[in-house]
Amino acid sequence: MKNARWMLGVVLTVLAAFTSIALTQPGVAKVSDQPASAEVTIDNFSFGPTTLTVTAGTSVTWKNNDDVPHTVVSDDKVFRSKALDTDDKFSYAFTKPGTYNYFCSIHPKMTAKVVVE
Amino acid sequence: MTVNPFDLKSALLAKHAQHVVLVHFPIALLISSVAFDLLAIGTGSRSLAKAAYHNLIGAAITALAAVGTGVLAWQLQLEGENLRGNLRLHLGLGAWSALLIWTLAWWRSRQERQDSGSLTVGYWAIAFLAVLIVAFTGHLGGILSGVEVPN
Repeated sequence: MKNARWMLGVVLTVLAAFTSIALTQPGVAKVSDQPASAEVTIDNFSFGPTTLTVTAGTSVTWKNNDDVPHTVVSDDKVFRSKALDTDDKFSYAFTKPGTYNYFCSIHPKMTAKVVVE
Repeated sequence: MTVNPFDLKSALLAKHAQHVVLVHFPIALLISSVAFDLLAIGTGSRSLAKAAYHNLIGAAITALAAVGTGVLAWQLQLEGENLRGNLRLHLGLGAWSALLIWTLAWWRSRQERQDSGSLTVGYWAIAFLAVLIVAFTGHLGGILSGVEVPN
């Protein structure tokens, strides 16, 4: 009986220790709460990848690595960035499934799409 | 979004596409005007001086279209946002280019009407400044449009 109490005490102490460790590491606890994210890079007058497939709720970030400004504008005007200079970023969270074709309004030959499942 | 270059309707409705086309006219006509003036001085030809005058008037008229389509491109494609960096520099230099071309055209027209002789030092100074600024604006426009790739 004494051993059983002692074992129970050890188990509870270990559980309490693991719980406190888990709670004091916010990065670990919040992982499941964070929305998914994806990145599209703008290099040499093209979007990469040209087709990005994500799940609904994903936040997509575009980063301009070119030395000239670019924009990110969806064909149906769902989203539109300002002119992005070098290293500027633009993010948009896709909540509804569908195919979103977009282009650079300064260089309309630059096209790509995001497929939201 | 791919525009068929042989489809007139698509080309005309491509919003800012006209700017990158039309802007070549004032650039070429201004440079031709100054070149004809230099040739007119070298040869003493009145015809070349007339050609320079007509090229300059052409530059002034087509500059209206270049400025108009440039402003439209800014308003339609970028929704009139506050420009930064090279876009703002291009807008500012473009405005100065047009202003200098119109000043030269006004100056030259007045001179033609008065039938006064040779061009003044002031005219030449503005003409060379205009060519320099137009060249730099065009170079910047080439980079922005992707025709020229910066090193």
